[in-house]
Amino acid sequence: MVKKILITLLFSTVAQAEEPSLLLQQNCLKCHTKQKIPSELIYRRYLMKFSTKERIKKSLASYLKSPKKENSIMPQQFFLKFPPKEALDLNETVLEESVEAYLDYFDVKDRLELKN
Amino acid sequence: MLSSERRSLVRFLAIYLGSTLILFSLGSYIFYNFQKYQIIDSQNAQLQLEAEKIVQKLRELHQTFDEPLLYPNDPTFDSAIYDVDRGYIFGTFKPKKIDWNKEFYKEKEKIFYLHTLKPYYLGASYLLVSKNFDPKPLNKLIKMLFLFLVGAGVLFTILGLFLGRLFIAPMKESIELMNRFIEDTTHELNTPISTILTNIELLDTIYNCEGQKEMRRIEMASKTLSRLYEDLTFLKLNHNYHRAVESLNISDLLNERIEFFHTLIEAKNIKIIKNIDPNISLEIDKNDALRLLDNLLSNAIKYNHKFGKLEVTLIANRLEVQNDGQGIKKENISLIQKRFRRANSSEGGFGIGLDIIGQVVKRYDFTFTIDSDYNHLTKVTLKW
Repeated sequence: MVKKILITLLFSTVAQAEEPSLLLQQNCLKCHTKQKIPSELIYRRYLMKFSTKERIKKSLASYLKSPKKENSIMPQQFFLKFPPKEALDLNETVLEESVEAYLDYFDVKDRLELKN
Repeated sequence: MLSSERRSLVRFLAIYLGSTLILFSLGSYIFYNFQKYQIIDSQNAQLQLEAEKIVQKLRELHQTFDEPLLYPNDPTFDSAIYDVDRGYIFGTFKPKKIDWNKEFYKEKEKIFYLHTLKPYYLGASYLLVSKNFDPKPLNKLIKMLFLFLVGAGVLFTILGLFLGRLFIAPMKESIELMNRFIEDTTHELNTPISTILTNIELLDTIYNCEGQKEMRRIEMASKTLSRLYEDLTFLKLNHNYHRAVESLNISDLLNERIEFFHTLIEAKNIKIIKNIDPNISLEIDKNDALRLLDNLLSNAIKYNHKFGKLEVTLIANRLEVQNDGQGIKKENISLIQKRFRRANSSEGGFGIGLDIIGQVVKRYDFTFTIDSDYNHLTKVTLKW
Protein backbone atom coordinates (compact mmCIF):
# COMPACT_ATOMS: atom_id res chain seq x y z
CA MET A 1 0.00 0.00 0.00
CA VAL A 2 2.82 2.42 1.04
CA LYS A 3 4.68 1.43 -2.13
CA LYS A 4 1.65 2.31 -4.25
CA ILE A 5 1.29 5.71 -2.57
CA LEU A 6 5.01 6.46 -3.12
CA ILE A 7 4.83 5.47 -6.81
CA THR A 8 1.69 7.60 -7.30
CA LEU A 9 3.40 10.57 -5.59
CA LEU A 10 6.52 10.14 -7.73
CA PHE A 11 4.54 10.03 -10.96
CA SER A 12 2.48 13.04 -9.98
CA THR A 13 5.70 15.02 -9.27
CA VAL A 14 7.18 14.07 -12.65
CA ALA A 15 3.90 15.02 -14.35
CA GLN A 16 3.98 18.38 -12.55
CA ALA A 17 7.55 19.03 -13.76
CA GLU A 18 6.77 18.19 -17.34
CA GLU A 19 3.36 19.80 -17.58
CA PRO A 20 3.02 23.62 -17.62
CA SER A 21 1.54 25.16 -14.51
CA LEU A 22 -2.03 26.28 -14.54
CA LEU A 23 -0.94 29.88 -14.30
CA LEU A 24 1.33 29.50 -17.32
CA GLN A 25 -1.31 27.56 -19.22
CA GLN A 26 -4.01 30.18 -18.62
CA ASN A 27 -1.98 33.37 -18.99
CA CYS A 28 0.43 32.36 -21.76
CA LEU A 29 0.30 29.02 -23.45
CA LYS A 30 -3.46 28.91 -24.07
CA CYS A 31 -3.28 31.69 -26.66
CA HIS A 32 0.27 30.84 -27.79
CA THR A 33 -0.79 27.28 -28.63
CA LYS A 34 -3.97 28.42 -30.28
CA GLN A 35 -2.19 31.00 -32.43
CA LYS A 36 0.81 28.69 -32.91
CA ILE A 37 3.20 31.25 -31.48
CA PRO A 38 6.56 29.46 -30.95
CA SER A 39 7.01 30.01 -27.20
CA GLU A 40 10.25 28.06 -26.86
CA LEU A 41 11.79 29.87 -29.83
CA ILE A 42 10.98 33.19 -28.13
CA TYR A 43 12.51 31.91 -24.88
CA ARG A 44 15.70 30.81 -26.69
CA ARG A 45 15.98 34.22 -28.35
CA TYR A 46 15.69 35.95 -24.98
CA LEU A 47 18.19 33.47 -23.52
CA MET A 48 20.67 34.15 -26.32
CA LYS A 49 20.42 37.90 -25.70
CA PHE A 50 20.19 38.14 -21.89
CA SER A 51 21.79 34.92 -20.64
CA THR A 52 20.35 34.89 -17.09
CA LYS A 53 16.86 34.30 -15.82
CA GLU A 54 16.77 37.57 -13.91
CA ARG A 55 17.76 39.64 -16.92
CA ILE A 56 15.23 37.86 -19.17
CA LYS A 57 12.51 38.26 -16.58
CA LYS A 58 13.12 42.00 -16.36
CA SER A 59 13.04 42.47 -20.14
CA LEU A 60 10.06 40.17 -20.75
CA ALA A 61 7.97 41.73 -17.99
CA SER A 62 8.77 45.16 -19.37
CA TYR A 63 7.60 44.07 -22.85
CA LEU A 64 4.42 42.45 -21.55
CA LYS A 65 3.46 45.62 -19.75
CA SER A 66 3.83 47.56 -22.99
CA PRO A 67 3.82 45.13 -25.91
CA LYS A 68 5.20 47.19 -28.81
CA LYS A 69 7.44 46.16 -31.67
CA GLU A 70 10.15 48.55 -30.48
CA ASN A 71 10.11 47.01 -26.98
CA SER A 72 10.55 43.51 -28.33
CA ILE A 73 13.74 41.69 -29.17
CA MET A 74 12.02 39.62 -31.88
CA PRO A 75 12.81 40.48 -35.53
CA GLN A 76 10.40 42.69 -37.47
CA GLN A 77 9.38 39.80 -39.76
CA PHE A 78 8.12 37.94 -36.68
CA PHE A 79 5.41 40.58 -36.19
CA LEU A 80 4.21 40.17 -39.77
CA LYS A 81 3.07 36.73 -38.81
CA PHE A 82 2.38 37.37 -35.14
CA PRO A 83 1.26 40.98 -34.64
CA PRO A 84 1.75 42.46 -31.14
CA LYS A 85 -1.26 41.98 -28.93
CA GLU A 86 -2.85 44.14 -26.26
CA ALA A 87 -1.21 44.37 -22.84
CA LEU A 88 -2.38 41.66 -20.48
CA ASP A 89 -4.79 42.67 -17.80
CA LEU A 90 -2.74 41.17 -15.00
CA ASN A 91 -1.53 42.68 -11.81
CA GLU A 92 2.21 42.99 -11.19
CA THR A 93 2.54 39.88 -9.00
CA VAL A 94 0.61 37.60 -11.33
CA LEU A 95 2.55 38.90 -14.32
CA GLU A 96 5.85 38.21 -12.58
CA GLU A 97 4.72 34.78 -11.49
CA SER A 98 3.58 33.97 -15.04
CA VAL A 99 6.93 35.07 -16.50
CA GLU A 100 8.73 33.03 -13.82
CA ALA A 101 6.65 29.99 -14.69
CA TYR A 102 7.33 30.52 -18.41
CA LEU A 103 11.09 30.69 -17.84
CA ASP A 104 11.10 27.67 -15.57
CA TYR A 105 9.06 25.64 -18.04
CA PHE A 106 11.48 26.21 -20.93
CA ASP A 107 14.67 26.37 -18.84
CA VAL A 108 17.53 24.63 -20.69
CA LYS A 109 19.46 23.66 -17.57
CA ASP A 110 17.06 20.81 -16.84
CA ARG A 111 17.24 19.58 -20.40
CA LEU A 112 20.98 19.39 -20.69
CA GLU A 113 22.59 15.98 -20.32
CA LEU A 114 26.13 14.73 -20.77
CA LYS A 115 26.81 12.95 -24.03
CA ASN A 116 28.17 9.48 -23.41
CA MET B 1 103.92 19.53 -11.82
CA LEU B 2 105.08 22.30 -9.47
CA SER B 3 102.60 23.77 -7.01
CA SER B 4 102.81 27.20 -8.70
CA GLU B 5 102.02 25.57 -12.07
CA ARG B 6 99.14 23.64 -10.53
CA ARG B 7 97.86 26.82 -8.90
CA SER B 8 98.01 28.72 -12.21
CA LEU B 9 96.28 25.87 -14.04
CA VAL B 10 93.56 25.60 -11.40
CA ARG B 11 92.98 29.37 -11.46
CA PHE B 12 92.83 29.42 -15.25
CA LEU B 13 90.43 26.45 -15.30
CA ALA B 14 88.27 28.00 -12.58
CA ILE B 15 87.91 31.28 -14.50
CA TYR B 16 87.51 29.58 -17.89
CA LEU B 17 85.07 26.90 -16.76
CA GLY B 18 83.25 29.27 -14.41
CA SER B 19 82.62 31.85 -17.13
CA THR B 20 81.69 29.10 -19.63
CA LEU B 21 79.30 27.57 -17.10
CA ILE B 22 77.66 30.95 -16.39
CA LEU B 23 77.33 31.66 -20.13
CA PHE B 24 75.90 28.23 -20.93
CA SER B 25 73.59 28.26 -17.91
CA LEU B 26 72.26 31.66 -18.92
CA GLY B 27 71.80 30.50 -22.52
CA SER B 28 70.12 27.30 -21.36
CA TYR B 29 67.85 29.24 -19.00
CA ILE B 30 66.73 31.57 -21.81
CA PHE B 31 66.28 28.63 -24.20
CA TYR B 32 64.38 26.66 -21.53
CA ASN B 33 61.99 29.52 -20.88
CA PHE B 34 61.43 30.12 -24.60
CA GLN B 35 60.75 26.42 -25.20
CA LYS B 36 58.61 26.13 -22.05
CA TYR B 37 56.32 28.91 -23.24
CA GLN B 38 56.14 27.27 -26.66
CA ILE B 39 55.09 23.97 -25.04
CA ILE B 40 52.51 25.76 -22.89
CA ASP B 41 51.29 27.70 -25.94
CA SER B 42 50.85 24.50 -27.95
CA GLN B 43 48.81 22.96 -25.11
CA ASN B 44 46.80 26.18 -24.78
CA ALA B 45 46.10 25.96 -28.52
CA GLN B 46 44.56 22.53 -27.92
CA LEU B 47 42.24 24.11 -25.34
CA GLN B 48 41.30 26.85 -27.81
CA LEU B 49 40.52 24.27 -30.50
CA GLU B 50 38.37 22.29 -28.09
CA ALA B 51 36.58 25.50 -27.04
CA GLU B 52 35.77 26.25 -30.71
CA LYS B 53 34.27 22.75 -31.07
CA ILE B 54 32.15 23.19 -27.93
CA VAL B 55 30.92 26.62 -29.05
CA GLN B 56 29.85 25.11 -32.39
CA LYS B 57 28.01 22.37 -30.52
CA LEU B 58 26.36 24.90 -28.17
CA ARG B 59 25.12 26.85 -31.20
CA GLU B 60 23.59 23.65 -32.58
CA LEU B 61 22.03 22.78 -29.22
CA HIS B 62 20.62 26.29 -28.90
CA GLN B 63 18.64 25.68 -32.08
CA THR B 64 17.55 22.21 -31.00
CA PHE B 65 14.20 21.80 -29.31
CA ASP B 66 14.25 18.03 -28.93
CA GLU B 67 15.09 16.67 -25.54
CA PRO B 68 17.56 15.89 -24.13
CA LEU B 69 20.18 18.49 -25.12
CA LEU B 70 23.38 16.44 -25.25
CA TYR B 71 26.34 18.45 -23.95
CA PRO B 72 29.68 17.54 -25.66
CA ASN B 73 31.87 15.34 -23.53
CA ASP B 74 35.48 14.68 -24.59
CA PRO B 75 37.36 12.52 -22.02
CA THR B 76 40.58 14.49 -22.60
CA PHE B 77 38.99 17.80 -21.66
CA ASP B 78 36.77 19.18 -18.96
CA SER B 79 34.41 22.04 -19.73
CA ALA B 80 31.70 24.11 -18.10
CA ILE B 81 29.45 26.95 -19.20
CA TYR B 82 28.59 30.01 -17.10
CA ASP B 83 26.01 32.77 -17.58
CA VAL B 84 26.81 36.46 -17.88
CA ASP B 85 26.63 36.85 -14.07
CA ARG B 86 29.12 33.96 -13.73
CA GLY B 87 26.49 31.54 -12.50
CA TYR B 88 27.11 27.87 -13.29
CA ILE B 89 24.86 26.46 -16.05
CA PHE B 90 26.22 23.03 -16.94
CA GLY B 91 29.44 21.18 -17.59
CA THR B 92 31.55 18.09 -17.18
CA PHE B 93 33.21 19.61 -14.09
CA LYS B 94 32.61 22.37 -11.59
CA PRO B 95 35.86 23.98 -10.36
CA LYS B 96 35.68 25.69 -6.99
CA LYS B 97 37.81 28.66 -7.96
CA ILE B 98 38.00 30.37 -11.34
CA ASP B 99 40.33 33.18 -12.34
CA TRP B 100 37.87 35.30 -14.33
CA ASN B 101 40.54 37.88 -15.23
CA LYS B 102 42.83 35.58 -17.17
CA GLU B 103 42.25 33.96 -20.53
CA PHE B 104 44.77 31.19 -19.80
CA TYR B 105 45.97 30.05 -16.44
CA LYS B 106 47.49 27.06 -14.70
CA GLU B 107 46.47 25.63 -11.38
CA LYS B 108 48.31 22.68 -9.91
CA GLU B 109 48.56 20.16 -12.75
CA LYS B 110 45.71 21.59 -14.84
CA ILE B 111 45.62 24.30 -17.48
CA PHE B 112 42.53 26.41 -18.05
CA TYR B 113 41.15 28.47 -20.91
CA LEU B 114 38.32 30.92 -20.33
CA HIS B 115 36.49 31.67 -23.58
CA THR B 116 33.88 34.43 -23.75
CA LEU B 117 30.78 33.91 -25.89
CA LYS B 118 28.44 36.32 -27.57
CA PRO B 119 25.63 35.69 -28.44
CA TYR B 120 24.91 33.62 -25.37
CA TYR B 121 24.06 30.18 -26.77
CA LEU B 122 22.04 28.34 -24.12
CA GLY B 123 22.65 31.42 -21.98
CA ALA B 124 26.38 30.72 -21.84
CA SER B 125 28.55 33.83 -21.61
CA TYR B 126 31.70 32.02 -20.49
CA LEU B 127 33.07 28.68 -21.49
CA LEU B 128 35.80 27.23 -19.27
CA VAL B 129 37.87 24.46 -20.84
CA SER B 130 40.52 22.56 -18.91
CA LYS B 131 42.90 19.65 -19.35
CA ASN B 132 45.75 18.06 -17.45
CA PHE B 133 49.04 19.70 -18.31
CA ASP B 134 51.18 17.16 -20.16
CA PRO B 135 54.64 17.37 -18.50
CA LYS B 136 56.35 14.97 -20.92
CA PRO B 137 57.62 17.60 -23.43
CA LEU B 138 58.87 19.78 -20.56
CA ASN B 139 60.66 16.85 -18.88
CA LYS B 140 62.17 15.93 -22.22
CA LEU B 141 63.42 19.49 -22.62
CA ILE B 142 64.97 19.51 -19.12
CA LYS B 143 66.66 16.16 -19.79
CA MET B 144 68.00 17.42 -23.11
CA LEU B 145 69.35 20.63 -21.54
CA PHE B 146 70.94 18.67 -18.69
CA LEU B 147 72.68 16.34 -21.15
CA PHE B 148 73.78 19.33 -23.19
CA LEU B 149 75.27 21.03 -20.10
CA VAL B 150 77.04 17.84 -19.01
CA GLY B 151 78.37 17.26 -22.54
CA ALA B 152 79.49 20.88 -22.89
CA GLY B 153 81.05 20.71 -19.40
CA VAL B 154 83.12 17.64 -20.31
CA LEU B 155 84.13 19.06 -23.69
CA PHE B 156 85.11 22.45 -22.26
CA THR B 157 86.99 20.86 -19.35
CA ILE B 158 89.11 18.85 -21.81
CA LEU B 159 89.58 21.95 -23.95
CA GLY B 160 90.40 24.00 -20.83
CA LEU B 161 93.01 21.50 -19.69
CA PHE B 162 94.60 21.51 -23.13
CA LEU B 163 94.58 25.33 -23.32
CA GLY B 164 95.77 25.63 -19.71
CA ARG B 165 98.77 23.40 -20.35
CA LEU B 166 99.48 25.38 -23.50
CA PHE B 167 99.40 28.66 -21.57
CA ILE B 168 101.59 27.53 -18.67
CA ALA B 169 104.13 25.88 -20.99
CA PRO B 170 106.32 29.07 -21.21
CA MET B 171 106.15 29.47 -17.42
CA LYS B 172 107.11 25.83 -16.95
CA GLU B 173 110.00 26.28 -19.35
CA SER B 174 111.23 29.35 -17.43
CA ILE B 175 111.03 27.54 -14.10
CA GLU B 176 112.93 24.56 -15.50
CA LEU B 177 115.52 26.91 -16.93
CA MET B 178 115.90 28.64 -13.56
CA ASN B 179 116.11 25.32 -11.72
CA ARG B 180 118.78 24.12 -14.13
CA PHE B 181 120.69 27.34 -13.59
CA ILE B 182 120.46 27.02 -9.80
CA GLU B 183 121.53 23.38 -10.03
CA ASP B 184 124.52 24.20 -12.17
CA THR B 185 125.47 27.19 -10.04
CA THR B 186 125.21 25.32 -6.76
CA HIS B 187 127.17 22.44 -8.18
CA GLU B 188 129.94 24.80 -9.25
CA LEU B 189 129.86 26.57 -5.84
CA ASN B 190 130.19 23.44 -3.74
CA THR B 191 133.83 22.62 -4.36
CA PRO B 192 135.33 26.11 -3.83
CA ILE B 193 133.26 26.72 -0.66
CA SER B 194 134.31 23.40 0.83
CA THR B 195 137.95 24.13 -0.04
CA ILE B 196 137.81 27.57 1.58
CA LEU B 197 136.18 26.29 4.78
CA THR B 198 138.57 23.34 5.10
CA ASN B 199 141.57 25.54 4.57
CA ILE B 200 140.40 28.13 7.08
CA GLU B 201 140.05 25.39 9.66
CA LEU B 202 143.54 24.12 8.75
CA LEU B 203 144.98 27.62 9.03
CA ASP B 204 143.33 27.99 12.40
CA THR B 205 144.58 24.66 13.68
CA ILE B 206 148.07 24.40 12.23
CA TYR B 207 149.24 28.00 11.92
CA ASN B 208 148.97 30.75 14.40
CA CYS B 209 148.53 33.36 11.76
CA GLU B 210 148.03 37.06 12.18
CA GLY B 211 144.93 38.74 10.90
CA GLN B 212 142.47 36.70 12.93
CA LYS B 213 139.78 39.32 12.33
CA GLU B 214 140.11 38.98 8.56
CA MET B 215 140.10 35.19 8.89
CA ARG B 216 136.81 35.36 10.82
CA ARG B 217 135.31 37.50 8.08
CA ILE B 218 136.35 34.99 5.43
CA GLU B 219 134.94 32.16 7.57
CA MET B 220 131.67 34.07 8.06
CA ALA B 221 131.28 34.77 4.35
CA SER B 222 132.12 31.16 3.49
CA LYS B 223 129.59 29.81 5.97
CA THR B 224 126.91 32.10 4.54
CA LEU B 225 127.73 30.80 1.09
CA SER B 226 127.74 27.22 2.37
CA ARG B 227 124.31 27.65 3.96
CA LEU B 228 122.97 29.22 0.78
CA TYR B 229 124.28 26.24 -1.13
CA GLU B 230 122.55 23.86 1.29
CA ASP B 231 119.27 25.75 1.03
CA LEU B 232 119.31 25.80 -2.75
CA THR B 233 120.16 22.10 -2.91
CA PHE B 234 117.34 21.38 -0.47
CA LEU B 235 114.85 23.29 -2.62
CA LYS B 236 116.05 21.66 -5.82
CA LEU B 237 116.12 18.09 -4.46
CA ASN B 238 113.20 18.43 -2.08
CA HIS B 239 110.90 16.21 -4.12
CA ASN B 240 113.36 13.43 -4.86
CA TYR B 241 115.43 13.38 -1.70
CA HIS B 242 115.31 10.15 0.28
CA ARG B 243 114.59 10.99 3.94
CA ALA B 244 115.86 8.95 6.86
CA VAL B 245 113.49 9.89 9.63
CA GLU B 246 115.06 9.07 13.00
CA SER B 247 114.82 10.04 16.65
CA LEU B 248 117.15 13.02 16.64
CA ASN B 249 118.59 14.73 19.69
CA ILE B 250 117.40 18.17 18.73
CA SER B 251 118.94 19.79 21.83
CA ASP B 252 122.45 18.75 20.74
CA LEU B 253 121.80 19.71 17.15
CA LEU B 254 120.48 23.13 18.18
CA ASN B 255 123.58 23.80 20.32
CA GLU B 256 125.78 22.66 17.45
CA ARG B 257 124.03 24.99 14.99
CA ILE B 258 124.26 27.94 17.41
CA GLU B 259 127.97 27.20 17.60
CA PHE B 260 128.11 27.09 13.80
CA PHE B 261 126.66 30.62 13.72
CA HIS B 262 128.92 31.97 16.48
CA THR B 263 131.03 33.96 14.05
CA LEU B 264 127.90 35.72 12.71
CA ILE B 265 126.60 36.26 16.28
CA GLU B 266 129.91 37.71 17.44
CA ALA B 267 130.23 39.90 14.37
CA LYS B 268 126.96 41.65 15.32
CA ASN B 269 127.70 41.58 19.05
CA ILE B 270 124.44 39.83 19.68
CA LYS B 271 123.79 38.63 23.21
CA ILE B 272 122.57 35.05 23.06
CA ILE B 273 120.34 33.62 25.78
CA LYS B 274 119.95 29.85 25.59
CA ASN B 275 117.17 28.07 27.47
CA ILE B 276 117.71 24.65 25.92
CA ASP B 277 116.47 21.63 27.80
CA PRO B 278 118.90 18.70 27.29
CA ASN B 279 118.13 15.53 25.37
CA ILE B 280 114.93 16.63 23.65
CA SER B 281 114.36 14.24 20.80
CA LEU B 282 112.30 14.66 17.67
CA GLU B 283 111.35 12.24 14.87
CA ILE B 284 112.85 14.00 11.86
CA ASP B 285 115.31 13.60 9.01
CA LYS B 286 118.62 15.19 9.96
CA ASN B 287 118.94 17.29 6.82
CA ASP B 288 115.38 18.63 7.27
CA ALA B 289 116.17 19.48 10.91
CA LEU B 290 119.39 21.21 9.84
CA ARG B 291 117.60 23.34 7.24
CA LEU B 292 114.88 24.18 9.74
CA LEU B 293 117.20 25.25 12.53
CA ASP B 294 119.72 26.98 10.25
CA ASN B 295 117.04 29.09 8.64
CA LEU B 296 115.38 29.98 11.94
CA LEU B 297 118.72 31.00 13.49
CA SER B 298 120.07 32.68 10.39
CA ASN B 299 116.94 34.87 10.05
CA ALA B 300 117.00 35.73 13.75
CA ILE B 301 120.64 36.80 13.44
CA LYS B 302 120.35 38.50 10.07
CA TYR B 303 117.38 40.66 11.05
CA ASN B 304 118.68 41.48 14.53
CA HIS B 305 120.13 44.83 15.65
CA LYS B 306 123.79 45.19 16.49
CA PHE B 307 124.17 44.57 20.23
CA GLY B 308 120.71 43.00 20.12
CA LYS B 309 119.42 40.01 21.99
CA LEU B 310 118.70 36.50 20.68
CA GLU B 311 116.75 34.18 22.92
CA VAL B 312 116.52 30.50 22.00
CA THR B 313 114.16 28.33 24.06
CA LEU B 314 113.72 24.59 23.59
CA ILE B 315 111.37 22.57 25.74
CA ALA B 316 109.66 19.19 25.26
CA ASN B 317 107.31 20.14 22.47
CA ARG B 318 108.28 23.66 21.50
CA LEU B 319 111.10 25.71 20.05
CA GLU B 320 111.02 29.50 20.32
CA VAL B 321 113.45 31.91 18.68
CA GLN B 322 113.06 35.54 19.65
CA ASN B 323 115.16 38.48 18.49
CA ASP B 324 115.30 42.23 19.04
CA GLY B 325 115.06 42.86 15.38
CA GLN B 326 113.32 45.16 13.03
CA GLY B 327 110.05 43.26 13.38
CA ILE B 328 107.61 42.54 10.59
CA LYS B 329 104.48 44.46 9.74
CA LYS B 330 101.31 42.42 10.34
CA GLU B 331 100.26 42.56 6.69
CA ASN B 332 103.66 41.13 5.62
CA ILE B 333 103.65 38.09 7.91
CA SER B 334 101.75 35.79 5.53
CA LEU B 335 103.50 37.26 2.47
CA ILE B 336 107.06 36.49 3.59
CA GLN B 337 106.33 32.77 3.92
CA LYS B 338 106.19 32.50 0.14
CA ARG B 339 109.29 31.67 -1.83
CA PHE B 340 111.39 34.64 -3.04
CA ARG B 341 109.32 37.10 -0.95
CA ARG B 342 111.01 39.33 1.60
CA ALA B 343 109.62 41.93 3.98
CA ASN B 344 112.61 44.21 3.38
CA SER B 345 115.78 44.10 1.35
CA SER B 346 118.09 45.59 3.97
CA GLU B 347 119.90 42.26 4.31
CA GLY B 348 121.21 39.88 1.68
CA GLY B 349 119.37 36.73 0.68
CA PHE B 350 116.94 35.22 -1.79
CA GLY B 351 113.88 35.02 0.43
CA ILE B 352 113.82 31.25 0.47
CA GLY B 353 114.39 30.72 4.22
CA LEU B 354 110.76 30.83 5.41
CA ASP B 355 109.66 28.82 2.37
CA ILE B 356 112.05 26.05 3.42
CA ILE B 357 110.83 26.29 7.03
CA GLY B 358 107.24 26.14 5.73
CA GLN B 359 107.98 23.03 3.66
CA VAL B 360 109.57 21.18 6.60
CA VAL B 361 106.76 22.24 8.95
CA LYS B 362 104.16 21.00 6.45
CA ARG B 363 105.96 17.70 5.90
CA TYR B 364 106.07 16.87 9.63
CA ASP B 365 102.72 18.47 10.58
CA PHE B 366 104.36 20.95 12.93
CA THR B 367 102.76 24.26 13.89
CA PHE B 368 104.67 27.40 13.02
CA THR B 369 103.69 30.87 14.16
CA ILE B 370 105.28 34.30 13.82
CA ASP B 371 104.48 37.02 16.36
CA SER B 372 106.01 40.35 15.70
CA ASP B 373 106.00 43.78 17.25
CA TYR B 374 107.12 46.03 14.42
CA ASN B 375 110.47 47.75 15.13
CA HIS B 376 110.72 45.95 18.41
CA LEU B 377 110.89 42.15 18.42
CA THR B 378 109.96 39.03 16.51
CA LYS B 379 109.21 35.65 18.03
CA VAL B 380 108.85 32.49 15.97
CA THR B 381 107.39 29.44 17.64
CA LEU B 382 107.59 25.89 16.38
CA LYS B 383 105.40 23.26 18.02
CA TRP B 384 105.29 19.53 17.43
